[in-house]
Amino acid sequence: MSSPDLRPPIDPLDNTSDDPTQPTTLVLGGHDFTSVTDTVASIAENPNPPRAWYIAFAVTASMTAMLFAMIAYLIVTGVGVWGLNNPVGWGWAIVNFVFWVGIGHAGTLISAILFLLRQRWRTSINRFAEAMTIFAVICAGIFPAIHVGRIWVVWWLFPIPNYQLVWPNFRSPLLWDVFAVGTYMTVSLLFWYTGMVPDLATLRDRAQTKTRAIIFGILALGWRGSHRHWHRYEKAYLILAGLATPLVLSVHSVVSFDFAVAQLPGWHTTIFPPYFVAGAIFSGFSMVGTLLVPARKWFGLKEFITLHHLENMNKIILATGSMVGFAYATEFFIAWYGGNPAESFAFVNRAFGPYAWAYWIMVSCNVIAPQFFWSKRVRTNTVAMWILYIFVNIGMWFERFVITVTSLSRDFLPSSWGYYSPTIVDILTFVGSFGLFFMLVLLFIRFLPMLAMAEVKTVMPVAHVSGESKPIGDYHGDIHILPKAPKEAT
Amino acid sequence: MSEGSKVYGILLEFEDPQNLVVACRKVRDAGYTRWDAHTPFPIHGMDAAMGIRGTRLPLLILAGGLTGLALALLMQWWMNAVDYPFLISGKPLFGLPANIPVTFELTVLFAALTTFFGMWGLNGMPRLYHPVFKSARFRRATADRFFIVIESDDPLYQTEGTSDFAASLGAVAVEELED
Amino acid sequence: MSQPHVMPSLEGEKLTLDEVGPRILIGGSILGVVGFAAAIAIGVGRNDHLASLGWSYLLNFAYFLSLSLGALFFVAVGHLTRATWNVVSRRIGEVVAVNLVLMAVMAIPLMLMASRVFPWASGLTHAPEELLEHKRPFLNLPFFYLRWVVYFAIWAGYAVWFWRQSVAQDRSGDPRITMRMESRAGLSLLLFALSVNFASFDLLMSLDPTWFSTIFGPYYFAAGVVGFFSLLTLLTFFLQSQGRLTRAIHVEHYHDYGKLMFAFVFFWAYLAFSQYMLIWYANIPEETAWLLRREENGWGWIGLVLVFGHFLVPFAGLLSRFTKRLRATLFLWALWILVMHWIDLYWVVMPEIRPLDPGLDSLDLLCFLGFAGFYAAALSRWAGAHSLLPERDPRLQDALAFENA
Repeated sequence: MSSPDLRPPIDPLDNTSDDPTQPTTLVLGGHDFTSVTDTVASIAENPNPPRAWYIAFAVTASMTAMLFAMIAYLIVTGVGVWGLNNPVGWGWAIVNFVFWVGIGHAGTLISAILFLLRQRWRTSINRFAEAMTIFAVICAGIFPAIHVGRIWVVWWLFPIPNYQLVWPNFRSPLLWDVFAVGTYMTVSLLFWYTGMVPDLATLRDRAQTKTRAIIFGILALGWRGSHRHWHRYEKAYLILAGLATPLVLSVHSVVSFDFAVAQLPGWHTTIFPPYFVAGAIFSGFSMVGTLLVPARKWFGLKEFITLHHLENMNKIILATGSMVGFAYATEFFIAWYGGNPAESFAFVNRAFGPYAWAYWIMVSCNVIAPQFFWSKRVRTNTVAMWILYIFVNIGMWFERFVITVTSLSRDFLPSSWGYYSPTIVDILTFVGSFGLFFMLVLLFIRFLPMLAMAEVKTVMPVAHVSGESKPIGDYHGDIHILPKAPKEAT
Repeated sequence: MSEGSKVYGILLEFEDPQNLVVACRKVRDAGYTRWDAHTPFPIHGMDAAMGIRGTRLPLLILAGGLTGLALALLMQWWMNAVDYPFLISGKPLFGLPANIPVTFELTVLFAALTTFFGMWGLNGMPRLYHPVFKSARFRRATADRFFIVIESDDPLYQTEGTSDFAASLGAVAVEELED
Repeated sequence: MSQPHVMPSLEGEKLTLDEVGPRILIGGSILGVVGFAAAIAIGVGRNDHLASLGWSYLLNFAYFLSLSLGALFFVAVGHLTRATWNVVSRRIGEVVAVNLVLMAVMAIPLMLMASRVFPWASGLTHAPEELLEHKRPFLNLPFFYLRWVVYFAIWAGYAVWFWRQSVAQDRSGDPRITMRMESRAGLSLLLFALSVNFASFDLLMSLDPTWFSTIFGPYYFAAGVVGFFSLLTLLTFFLQSQGRLTRAIHVEHYHDYGKLMFAFVFFWAYLAFSQYMLIWYANIPEETAWLLRREENGWGWIGLVLVFGHFLVPFAGLLSRFTKRLRATLFLWALWILVMHWIDLYWVVMPEIRPLDPGLDSLDLLCFLGFAGFYAAALSRWAGAHSLLPERDPRLQDALAFENA
């Protein structure tokens, strides 16, 4: 911002320049520590949220009520209210479980893996993504729990001594799920809460009412920003990130084991673990984007969740989407190469059998749609990206549908083939789970700091002390106005 | 070693991290040991400026993780191979490949719980009351201001001398904290 | 703990190989010629139509190929993510990647021996004729040769392109070169993934024409990346022992080398476990045969060596921040992992050839020496008179000042 120049004005909110000689600005709009605190905290402090919030809350709360009504109906009647029957014993419940667990991977990826990779842009989106992870895992956990049939004995899943003196079977991948998802839920919650404590202290110190002061006072554990505390806190955060990174790989790998340990054609293939993990990240980032694009607009956070952040997310979506496409291709090739007729039939059946419609929805949404992100114009256009996120969300649900249902409906014995269709209860339960998810997101936005204030402050230039080295990577500064980079000659 | 038990210490307020770090170096060099800096976010380079050494947290976590690992293996072996042995899908009663997922998850779970509780425990938290909270000024320690607190039970602490020393550090405000 | 960091000055830093280059070139060439001459002499004496020689050659070809592929990945992914820390060691990576040109030449003998080496081509296999017939559209020599031409066109093409661009930037200092490399990195990695996947099927998986595993490509890739990061560490220490790059690459960069070795050792183990466990669990005969061969007749011991040596021991050894920042320990772990990576490939290749005998063949080692000699000679040839540092990369200053938080 030094010398005046005559170049045409550039959008002050566009920080997506690719010029390697200039640092990328992560916080725009000339914020200082005070204004960051005010902007973010005031969203959670506003006693009168906009009417749209109430309307959205009413809608999602009704959907949640519907979810619980469906669950109650299922419990009193039995799982027969779903479309499950021979040969498809795993229907939408498992599809929805895998779908929601997958979405729950973005939060930990952003908070842990991007943290270890020193991706400092994560600071503006990690809190939101972590919250979303927890809500998605809650939604995910519901489905297998109600799928067991006799939900009142669901505690048999845990190694708790019972009157029959029977222990759970640890050699079953379904039990691995209990441990994997349980650990994931716990660690995500610890990670989210640990990251939030300094911000809860901020809300405590800004509290205008006694109730708020007490609630946030307890939640903040008495945090007072002591540097001796920060020292251990940062170490703990780093180690939690180090623990969460393999954990995030393991969770969806274990979910993939549910399928892959079986001998069923289309399920048993060794690439499933990494392929499921890539798919989970892919779907999770798309869901984060689906929520962030409107949220940054409605809550005036465009200066924190900048186009640069969104562009980076879109690149990750492109990369993971390509990995998913790569896995589809490898599976198809090996199905032929392996020379097992049942296996090759399973894949031909997917693409051209009775569920071909689902298969091609999956391919177009998951493999073709993200390819548009090769274009920088698409990557930085919020409307275009939002539409692509929706495609990916749909595609990833259908991926799980294709895997689960096509293989079960037509396995080795043609005499026991069938065609599976969901019932209205299946559909309403799934719709209801979206209600629960969005309701929790709305509550989170309403009451808790949506951005990690303390972390965002560390990527602002004023946070860096001269005489000390500058943390590497992006850092904040005034926006650099540059001419558009010349197109390379080819 | 105390000057009047009423006084907890002295609070210095700074407007930006640069001045805080410079002041911290001076406090460290003056030989104080019972003092602390309070900041809204972790500042890079403060460990050196305050002379803080490493924490033993990683060792605790390693121990926690190994406990989880051992417990998981022991539990699976005892439950499936000893106390209630049953054959299923032709798998051995205790065969490592099938027992690794749960072992891994419990290792991570125990290590993570140790990290969480260990960190708060070593930090002496939760501790909902602290003398610094009495200061209205200190409320900005979690927003946009930077503080140093020198405690009165520091061996070097003298009411007069420390106040003069504090005044020389370039703080925008100095306040005496009651206990 | 950490002292205020001082920006390392490159004043007076030696940035080219100079007199060291020719020494490696000559020494390596001699080693290569002697190694291969001895191997050929013994191989011809075996009277098995060069089959034993071919298998030992294949094993070491796969080994050195994986290292250079790991380097290409390192360079391309660095550009894709606009990494800063690795700028100081990127030139070493570029040079190791350019050795794909050498590997393309070294592939020619393998192609000539292919009809003896690969069971689907030689017919020396228990695979039913019907199955081989089914796979013939893929597993036939003309298509096989064509695929390898395509693979090397992609690999060597990109490796040379990245290296030339980077060297050109040493002269011009043009930041647009960086932008160009960044914008092409994405496509390069896509083609890289596809080609490495199929190359691993061709080179290693097809040694048992009945066996198949969809994770095999990522497994070979991960092993190569681990190997490359170890090699990068050793090359860095070697250059520093010769007085090169002594200040440009410092403890903060070692620390990252250590972290990457650690991460990819874990990633390798994750893929290896996924493959093993899924096959073990489903217990389908056409898949388990491959693993069974690796558990019987003493091969199981080598498998255990891998579980401990390629995973648990280096995992524990690299867990601490301390060992990653100490030259001596990092050097030892890098050497250790490079040896383990070789044993890993030995465990993949040789049970198909010598299912009853896990012992080393002298040809395995002689071919290793031959490859190692030529590999080192070629490295010094590419490094040549160019700087060992991308001197005018726009991110170089940040990379020099880099510090782990």
